[in-house]
Amino acid sequence: MNSVETHNLTVIYDKKPAIWNIDFTLPAGLIIGIMGPNGSGKSTLLKAIMDIVEPNMGYVKLMDKPLDDLRDKVSYVPQRLSVDWDFPASVYDVVAMGRYAKRGMFKKLSSDDKKRIDESLEMVNMSAFQNRQISQLSGGQQQRVFLARALAQDADIYLMDEPFVGVDAATEQAIITLLKNMRDQGKTLLVVHHDLHTAQDYFEHMVLLNTRLVAEGPTEEIFNEKILTETYGGTLTTLSKVANVLKEKDFPMRHK
Amino acid sequence: MDFFSEIASFFSFTEPNVRVVFWGSLILCSISGLVGTFTLLRKRSLIGDVISHAVLPGIALAFILGQQKNPAYLIIGATVTGWISTFLVDYITKNSKIKSDTAIALILSVFFGAGILLLTHIQQSGNAAQSGLDQFIFGRASSMNMNDVYLFTAVGVVIVALTIVFFRGLTVLSFDEEFSQAIGFPNPWLRLILSITTVITVAMGVQAVGVVLMSALLITPAASARFWTNSVPLLAILSVIISGASGVLGSTISYTYAGMPTGPWIVVVVSLVAFTSAIIGTRNGLGRKMLLRWSNNRKILRENTIKLFYNSEQEQASYTLEELTKKSSIEAASLTKGLKMLVRLNFVTKQGREFVTTDEGAKEARAIVRKHRLWELYISRFMNLQPDHVHDDAEGIEHVITPEIEKELEKELEYPLKDPHDSEIPYE
Repeated sequence: MNSVETHNLTVIYDKKPAIWNIDFTLPAGLIIGIMGPNGSGKSTLLKAIMDIVEPNMGYVKLMDKPLDDLRDKVSYVPQRLSVDWDFPASVYDVVAMGRYAKRGMFKKLSSDDKKRIDESLEMVNMSAFQNRQISQLSGGQQQRVFLARALAQDADIYLMDEPFVGVDAATEQAIITLLKNMRDQGKTLLVVHHDLHTAQDYFEHMVLLNTRLVAEGPTEEIFNEKILTETYGGTLTTLSKVANVLKEKDFPMRHK
Repeated sequence: MDFFSEIASFFSFTEPNVRVVFWGSLILCSISGLVGTFTLLRKRSLIGDVISHAVLPGIALAFILGQQKNPAYLIIGATVTGWISTFLVDYITKNSKIKSDTAIALILSVFFGAGILLLTHIQQSGNAAQSGLDQFIFGRASSMNMNDVYLFTAVGVVIVALTIVFFRGLTVLSFDEEFSQAIGFPNPWLRLILSITTVITVAMGVQAVGVVLMSALLITPAASARFWTNSVPLLAILSVIISGASGVLGSTISYTYAGMPTGPWIVVVVSLVAFTSAIIGTRNGLGRKMLLRWSNNRKILRENTIKLFYNSEQEQASYTLEELTKKSSIEAASLTKGLKMLVRLNFVTKQGREFVTTDEGAKEARAIVRKHRLWELYISRFMNLQPDHVHDDAEGIEHVITPEIEKELEKELEYPLKDPHDSEIPYE
C-alpha cells in the first residue's frame, strides 16, 4: 500500500514557491527521511501534508484517502521549538493531548486512554517525569514528550519535523531505536532530518528536496554524490530566476 | 462620615447604586480575568490593548448614530470597531512585510486618535445627552445602572459556558496551534470564540475601567495567577478570583472617596496583587529564589563545617572552637552557626569545650570529601586540568553533586581510589 502520495503539491509563501510541484508516492512501513538544505521546504512539505498550510496547488492522499478520512491515523510531531515550553502544563498533560486526537474536544478520557498515556510515557522513558512541569525539561526530554504524545495517538503514519535537533546523543539513540521498533510494528515514519552523516543509517527510503523534488527512492539507490550535489549544491538558476520574477512582478502561478 | 462607616455603608448595599457598582465590577472583572487567561497564554496581550483603544471610535459613532447613551448601542458600536482592529492587525501581519509590533502600534494609535476626534466633535455639538461620554476614557463604575448589570450577567454566563465547553480545544490551541490543527480541532472556530469573547469583554469593560486601562484588567490578573500555578484550569480560576476581588476592592475605594475614578483604582489594586505575586509567588517568585539561596547557603556552611572534622583514619574527631577557627577560612560567627546546625542534626556533640563527631557526622564528612575528590579527579581527567587547578572548582561543586550524579561519577571514573593529589578517596 502507498503511505503518502502528493500530486504537484505547491505551497507559496510570500508570493514565492516554498515547495514547487512535489510529486511522489511513498511506500508504507518504512522510516523515510526528508532531506535537503535549509529553506528547501522540508517543514512546509510536512505541514502541507497535514493541511496546516493550505497548498496553493496539488493535493495529498494518505493510504489512498484524503486526510480528513483518516486524520486519527496520522500523527504530526512539530518542531520542538515551535511551542513555548513555559506553558503551564505537566508532562502528563501534554501526552494526554495525543489522546484528544481520538476523543475529540468533548469526550472524557477513559481508563483505557489513561493506560495508553502511561504506556507512551514508558516507551520514551519519561514515566518518572510525568508530573514534572514541561518548563523544567531538557531539550532531549522535551522531544521525548512530543514523541510520547504522538505515540499516544496510536497512528499508522507519523510525520516528524526535526526530532533530532537539540537533543543529546543518548536521546538521539533512544529515539532512533524507538522509531525502528515502530517501523517493525508496520508504522510508516516520515522524518525531516538534516544531518547527512547519520542519514544513511537512519533511513531506508528518502525524499531529497530543494524547493523542487530532487529525488525520491530507496536510500541505496539515491543517496549518492551526484544526487546529493544536485540537492545541496545550490538552486537551479533558471528555476529560481522564474520564482523571483513571480515575486517581484506579482504574477499568479496559475491563471484560468 | 469617616472611612470605615463609608465602607460599611458600601457593603450594606442600602444605596441601590452601590449594589449596581458592586455587582457590575464583580461580574465584569471576573469575566475579563477568565478571557484574559487565554489572551495571556496565546501571547496576545498587546492585541488586548489594541482592542481596548479601538472601541472608543465605535462608542462615539454609536452615539452619533443613535443620539443617545443607550448602553446596548454603545456596546455594539464598541464591539464592531474593536473587532475590525484585531482583524486589521492580523491581516497586516499576515499579508505585508510589517511585523506585528508595528501593526499593533499603527492600528492602536489610528483608532484611538479617531475616537478622540469623534468624541471632541460630539462634545462641541452641544447635545445634552453626551455628558459623561468622555468617562469612557478612564471609566466610571458609578455610571453603570441595573440594566448594565443584567447585560453583563447574561454575557458573562455565555462566556463562562463557552470557555468550559471548549476548554480542551482552547488549551490545545494555546499550547500548540499546529498540533491542534493536525488532530482536526476546528482552529478557526476556536480562534473566533477567543476573539469574540475578548472584544465583547473589552467593549463592556470600558464603561467601568476606561479604554486606557482595560487591557491591564485583561492581562494583569492572569499574569499574577501565573506566579502561583502551573495548570491551565487553576490559572483560569485563580485569575477570575484575583480579578473579581480587585474589581470589588477598587470600586469600593473609588466609591468611598468622592470623585475618584474607578478604572485606575481597580488597576492599582490588581497591579498590587501582581507585584506581590511576583515577589512571593510559589512559582518563579523572587521570594522563592531568595528562599532557595538562603537554604543553599545553609547547606554550604553546614557541609563546609562538617568537612573540617574529616580525617583519613575515618575516626571520630574532636576539636575546640579555637582549633576549628584556626583550621578553616570560615568566619568565626558563621562557624559558630554551622556548628549549631551540626549539633542540631546530631552530626557532632558538644563535650565540654570540644566538638566531637558522631558516627553519622563522620560519615557525612567522608561523603563531602568523597564528592570533592571525585569531582577533582573528574575535571582533571575530562577538562584536562593540572592537579593544582582543580581544588577551587571542587569547593563549589561538592555541594551540588546529588547522589545520582555521584554514582555516575564513580562509574565513569571506574571507582577510583586516589584523587589527583594522590589523596585517598574515602568510600562508605
